[in-house]
Order: sequence, then C-alpha cells, then structure tokens
Amino acid sequence: MSGFGKYMLKRLLNMLFSLFVLITLLFFMFRLIPGDPLSMYIDVDISIEAKEMLMKQFGLDKPLFEQYIAYMKNLAQGNFGLSFQYNKPALEIVGDRFWSTCILMVTSLGIAFFIGIIAGTVLAWMRGTRFEVSSITAVLFIRCAPVFWIGMIFVMVFAFKLQWFPLGGMNTPGTHFEHTWQKYFNTDFLYHLFLPAITCGINMAATPLLVMRASMLEVIKEDFIELATARGLSKARVMFKHAMRNALLPVATLFAVEAGLAVGGVVLIETVFRWPGMGREIVLAIGARDYPVAQTAFVLIGAMVILFNLLADMIYAYLDPRVTYN
Amino acid sequence: MNAVSEFFSVIRKDKVGMIGMILFSFFLIIALAAPYIAPFDPVEMQFNELGKLERLTPPNSTYLFGTTSMGRDIFSQVVMGSRVAILVGVISAVCVVFIGTNIGLIAGYYGGKVDNAIMRIVDIIYGIPFLPFALILVAVMGPGIINIIIAIVLITWRNTARIIRSQVLSIKQRMFVEAARISGASNFRIMYKYIAPNVMPLSLVYVALSMGYGIMTEASLSFLGYGDPTLPSWGKILFECYSSQAMFIAWWWMIPPGLAILLLVLSGFLVGRSYEEIANPRLKER
Amino acid sequence: MTNSAILQIDHLKMHFKTQAGYVRSVDDVSLSLPHNTNLGLVGESGCGKTTLMKALLKILPPTCHHRGGSITFDGTDITDYSYKQMQAIRWNKISMISQSAMNALDPAYRIGEQIVETIRIHRRSVNKKAAWDHAAAYFEMVGINPDRLKDYPHQFSGGMKQRAVIAMAMVLEPDIIIADEPTTALDVVIQAQILERLKLLQEKYRGSMIIVTHDISVVAQTCSLVAVMYGGKLMEVGPVNQVLKSPNHPYAMGLKNAFPSLLGEKKSLISIPGSPPDLIHPPTGCRFVERCPFETDKCRVQVPEMQPVDSSWTACHRLSEAEALRQEAEDENIWLKKETA
Repeated sequence: MSGFGKYMLKRLLNMLFSLFVLITLLFFMFRLIPGDPLSMYIDVDISIEAKEMLMKQFGLDKPLFEQYIAYMKNLAQGNFGLSFQYNKPALEIVGDRFWSTCILMVTSLGIAFFIGIIAGTVLAWMRGTRFEVSSITAVLFIRCAPVFWIGMIFVMVFAFKLQWFPLGGMNTPGTHFEHTWQKYFNTDFLYHLFLPAITCGINMAATPLLVMRASMLEVIKEDFIELATARGLSKARVMFKHAMRNALLPVATLFAVEAGLAVGGVVLIETVFRWPGMGREIVLAIGARDYPVAQTAFVLIGAMVILFNLLADMIYAYLDPRVTYN
Repeated sequence: MNAVSEFFSVIRKDKVGMIGMILFSFFLIIALAAPYIAPFDPVEMQFNELGKLERLTPPNSTYLFGTTSMGRDIFSQVVMGSRVAILVGVISAVCVVFIGTNIGLIAGYYGGKVDNAIMRIVDIIYGIPFLPFALILVAVMGPGIINIIIAIVLITWRNTARIIRSQVLSIKQRMFVEAARISGASNFRIMYKYIAPNVMPLSLVYVALSMGYGIMTEASLSFLGYGDPTLPSWGKILFECYSSQAMFIAWWWMIPPGLAILLLVLSGFLVGRSYEEIANPRLKER
Repeated sequence: MTNSAILQIDHLKMHFKTQAGYVRSVDDVSLSLPHNTNLGLVGESGCGKTTLMKALLKILPPTCHHRGGSITFDGTDITDYSYKQMQAIRWNKISMISQSAMNALDPAYRIGEQIVETIRIHRRSVNKKAAWDHAAAYFEMVGINPDRLKDYPHQFSGGMKQRAVIAMAMVLEPDIIIADEPTTALDVVIQAQILERLKLLQEKYRGSMIIVTHDISVVAQTCSLVAVMYGGKLMEVGPVNQVLKSPNHPYAMGLKNAFPSLLGEKKSLISIPGSPPDLIHPPTGCRFVERCPFETDKCRVQVPEMQPVDSSWTACHRLSEAEALRQEAEDENIWLKKETA
C-alpha cells in the first residue's frame, strides 16, 4: 500500500476510535437520565404486563452493561434500535434526513470556502485601501453575529418581505415523489436550498477569509512571487495562479475544523428554515425524549464530521506536493 | 498578576483592541447596573391606560425597543439579558482557559506517555460535534445556567490546551528552564514559576476568544429552547420571537438581542486578536 | 558612454518611503551597458545593488518611489512603462536570476510547468509540446537531466534549483540577464561550475549580463566591465582590468585590498573599517566620506561628479592624485587610523 493510503487508513482508524468513544459516552449519558424513558409514551392506565412487554421490546429490562453490549452489537450490524416515538427503526427515521443535512452542509461549506478564498485573495491584494478596511469590518460583524439570527433576518427580508425565496422547508408542500432521490434533483429543491445555504455559508466564510488574507499577505512576500512578476506574468496570473495556490494550504487545514463547527451551524439553520435534516431531528427528538433517534442522528453527524476530516486530509495532500507519508 | 497589567497596557496602545475593550466595558456596566437601567420587570405584561395589553407595540418613548407578543418590554429583557451573557461568557472563558492552560502545561512539560494520552483525548474531543453534544448534555442534566457552562467548558478547553501545549514545548527548550532544573527546582516549581508566566499572555488571548464561544453557545442553546428557564437571555428572546411567528412583523423584537450578541462576541474577538497580534505576531488563526 | 548601449540608466533615483523618511537606496545613478557585454556590479550588502536591478524590471514594492532619472532600454525610455507594457520587457528582454534561487520557484508547480508557462506567455504561437522540448534543451545545457522537468522544486538540491533558474532565465534568450548574487547560496565547487556554465552559455547566444555580487573574484572571472556601488551611488565604472588592478576611487582601492590577489601573491587582507552610511540622512558630500582615509573638507560638502580617466569613470574629488593614493592605500594602517580617529 502506498504511503498515502497507509496514512489515510491510520487516520480513519483513529477517527473510528473517536467515534466509538463518543457512542459509548452517549449511551451512558442517556441511561443516566432519572426516570424511565418510556414513561412519556405509555398510557398511565397501561397494565403492568403490557408495560413489561414494551420494556422488553426496547431491551430496557436488562442491566446497564448488558444493554450496552447489546446496543453495540446491534450497532455493528447497522441496527440503531427502535424509535420510542414512532416505534419504527431509528435509522429509518434519521437516514431519510442524512442526505438533506449532507447536501446543506456541503453546499454551505462550499459557499463559505469559495467566498473566503476569493474575497481573502482580493482583500489581500487591496491591502491598505479604504475598501479593505470596511470589508474586514463587515466580515467581522458577520462572523460575530449568531447564525440563526442572520437566518431570521434573511427569512424576514428575502422570504417574507421580498418573497424571493420560500419561508422554509425543503420542497414545496404537497409535491409527490416517486423516489427518494427525486426530492433532491429538481429546481424546487435548489430554490429551497438557496437561503439556508447562503446564511450558513456567509457566516462560516469569515474564518477562511481572514486566514486566506493573512496567508496571502505572507505568500506575496515570497521570492517566487517576485520572480513570477519578473517573468512577465499578468497581475491576475501572479495573484490567482501562483500566490493563491500557495496561500491555500493553511486554509485547507482549516477545512476539518470548520466542518466540525458547521455541524453546529447546520443544527441552528435547519431549525430556522425548518429544513428536514438531522440537526433539526436531534432537537425534536431530544424534546420528545426519543433517545434512540437522537443517538442515531448524533452518531451519523459524528460520522459525517469524520468524513469531512478525511476529505480535508485528501485536499491537503493534493494541494501540497511536498507532503510525504513515510 | 504581571501578565494581566501588561495585557491592559498593550490593549490600550492598539486602536482595535481599545474599541473591543470599550465595547466590553459598556456591556459590563449594563450588566452590573441592569436592575437600575431596566424600566420594567422583563416578564411583566404591560397594559396601556385603557387596560389593553401592549401587544407587539413598536418602539416608542416608553418601550424603547417595543414589546413582545405577550406585551413584555423588550428593552428590559435585553438589558437583563446582558447579565446572563456576561456571566456565561466570563465564567466559561475563565474555566476553559484555567483547565486548558493547566492541561497544556502538563502535557507539554511532561511529554511522552502523559502527553500522548492527553493529546489523544483532545483529538477525540475535536471529533465531537459541539452543539449537538451540548444540547444532549443540557437535555440530560436538565436546563440551567450551570449545566450550560459545564457543557461549554467540557468541550472548548481543547483549543486552549492544544495551543498552550505547543507553546510549552518551545519554552521548555530555553536556557532558563534548564538552569532551573539544574539548580534543583521541582517539576511543579518549574512549571508554575518558570514556564507558566511565559504562556500567560497566550492564555489571556484565549480568555478573550473563549468568551465569544461561551456567549454564542449559550445563545444557540437558548434559541433551541434549552436555555435557563428562570433567566432572561438574549438567545431566549430570539427563541420567543421566532416561535411566536411575530418575527415577520416585529423587527424590533429580533434586531436588538441579536445585535447585542454580535457586539459582545465582537468585543472579545477584537481584544483577543489585537493582543495576539502584538504579543505574538507569529501566531495565526488556526 | 555610447549610444549603441542596450541599456542606459540616467540619474536614476529610487527611494523607499519609510516613516523615518526616504531611504535613498539608489540615488542619482547613471550607467550604460553595451551590447554583448558582461558587467559586474559590486558593493557591500545594502548599498542598493539589488534595488537598482529590480528597478530595471520594475518589480520593486510600491513603497519604493521613482524620484527622478530614467531607464532607456534598446533606445526606448521605459521609465514610465505600465505593468502591462513592462510585461513585454520582463523575461523576454531582461530576465533575472534572483538572489535567492532557493525560493525563486513556485513550490506548488512542477519546474517544467513553470518554464513552459514562461515560454508560452511570451511566445503565444509555441504549443505545449514544443515548449517542453525547448525547456528540455535548456535543462540539458545547464547539466540537468530533462526528465527532472517533471519534478517539484522541493525535489531539487540547492545547486540544481540554481541551475534550473539559470535555464529559465535563458530560455527566451533575452538581451540582458541579471544575475543577482547567483552563487552566494552555494558551496565553492558548485559556485565555480555554475559561473563557468553561465559564462559559456552567455557567450553562445551573445546577450549582455549584469552580475551583481560582493565578491570581486566572481567579477574578475566573468565580466569585462565593472561598476562599484557605495551607499546608493556609483563610485567607479570601467573595464575590469583597469578598475581591479589600478582603482581610482578610494573605496575601490579598499575593496581590492579586501580580497585576495588574483595573481596569488600573499598579502595580508585589509578590510574597510566602519559601516555603510545612513541612507535616510546621507552625508552631504561624498557618500564614502566617513570611511575614506583621504577625505578633505571639500569631500564633506560637495558631491563629487563622475569624471573620465583613461577608459573608466570615477566620482572622487582627488581623482588627479589617484596614483599616489593607490600607493598609500596598500598600507593597512591608513585604513585603521581612520577608524581610531
């Protein structure tokens, strides 16, 4: 196996271990809650036998450690347990939401890094101008504003007042889909995606932008930039082909951290825009004390963060020819 | 507390840091004097002289920021909300940095197995989706300001620990540490007497930056409905505004608390960054 | 100074703006470079050599202001050329082997890609394949296996990077190659190799070259003309044989003493005591006055003009006494006395 493959495998194993610790932690956290989790869903008048049957069905009658072993075994087989609320496999409920969240996150991160990299480059180029100062101020304001608040303002202005975009949701209600995938491949979906993705994207763009700008300012002092100018390249070519390319490295390391933070942003944005994703599902499930669903959503979100981390590693390896993995 | 006085003298020289400091002081004063500034009880329903509930009244001279759909005075809510923000921000920042600095010191100073174990834990915590975790933690332990602070501290100490550790690793190589070791100083003494003062400036940067994290997390949890039910907070005002569906018409309900969060988080960011740039010009945001 | 010069610099002033005032890095410099000639530009570090060279390509940072004088290239005044206009000159007409070839190549792209990029920017009709072949030919000339064009800069050693940059500087066969301390970063054996190769290549396609260095032996090996720069001004310009053997300017005399004799005579080395002048508040008269053992009152108040003697030009008030001063300058003590005084 190549050095890179080995490195990635090691990273993957490390992250899977993290995920395992996380799942364990979460399992015990949920079982430590005082009161039995079923009480909310069971009729007070239910017979003791019926209640015991239900407890058995959810495996809640066994000692905690046995429950844990059983849970992990099931998990390894892809069985995440039953939702208390719907009495359906938790994975089925959450799985539906996985792609909605995934698409929202990828789009938001894409917007964030696109804006961050381009604007960071341009601002570094315009260093010392009045435009730069006011832009940086605006960026800091957006960075420090709560993302859900920006979302609320956008909903009010662009959806309610101007009616350019829908108030929320992922598809126009009443639309019928033959197949799950159809939900994502139509213009109506993009129309619904735009506002939440932009909100999340511009809020997250600040950090890559500032890092990109600082990195650009470092890179343009380098000798190879001076030589690129001396070679007779156009300003744009020097900036965008040579300076930007090298300034990207610190931004790429940021990708993993930002993806971790983006998860938080997505939970809030999904709530504001009623986006049927895992973040919103977690909030609803916790509210309804439907722990299997909350747990499942959490595990999937954790897995998603891991995927983004690996992606970040790959991007970095692609960008920096100097990286070796031996 | 040499580092602290140095901190303030550095900030005073920098325009950006000064703006941050003034912003923070402004909110601190409001928080301290909140009961004297707020004209009404934030949860009290307001009626006009005809006995009619002041529902969604736009800002006027009596209700500076207008009223909520329940007829509550928003200005009083925002003023009282500054207390929760400052409290959560400052306490969580101090705890985060205290824990993070000590762990970073231990990991960096002892190195080897201790360092490995600590850094492995830091890695795991980096893999935890922060907000969902905080949400579950608060839901499990019950909503309350203490639990919110615990949730914030449990996760965010990682940033400080990692940065301090790498700083300690480089300080450890310096001559004066070697000299102290040769002269027979104990590990504890070397760590806290010789190394700690050198990482203090960096720790202070992280106090300022962590404050923003704390405030933002509290606001987010409150917005999701998991704030402290007994206290008025900016996030909770936004939660009520959002869930009442009045946000489309009542801009005055939505703008002030969000702006307050923005400015207070910004103050920490400005102070932290300006001090960082002056004290450690080589450090970059990571 | 003849009209057939490929490059003509007239009273050029390039000053860096700082909070403390203008740093007069290049102050009233005039120089002319004939076709097919190698010129050595020598002087201590910080004397403005590099600034002068970068001014030719207009690649100085915006803090550096042009405050007078002109640059004429091949009969055309290029002093006020815009970035766009300069693009046609850069590398195509004047190329540069920069001081730090170590970092002169973009680490993110293959070396071949960078050379091909340079070729295709200036020769639009050349296709990719032809450009690669062209680059390969030059790689062979500088003694690197053309297969290595596919390598990234970090895969090259220091000497190889230097040679790659030399290949890149020559690939368009420009009229002038500026070699700014081309060998300082390298060890002595490779230094000699590279200089030799540079000289051979340059002779082969008949361009001009400016070698910037503080090492007189490099000049002696490769150049026919030499310009001595001190504190932002030229002190002496002339044929290498004359300037290095019988310098007319006290600073050039000092420099000559500071280096081992070319003919191998054993002599104790004399370096010039003191430090370079403050270029924000330079001396009113001659820039060298603070360190010159032969200074007079006139030297303190009046800037000496360049005057011709034999085939060289010198800026010194005591030019007529040069013969006598040369004798005196060989004595180490006269330099040391100045410092203790």
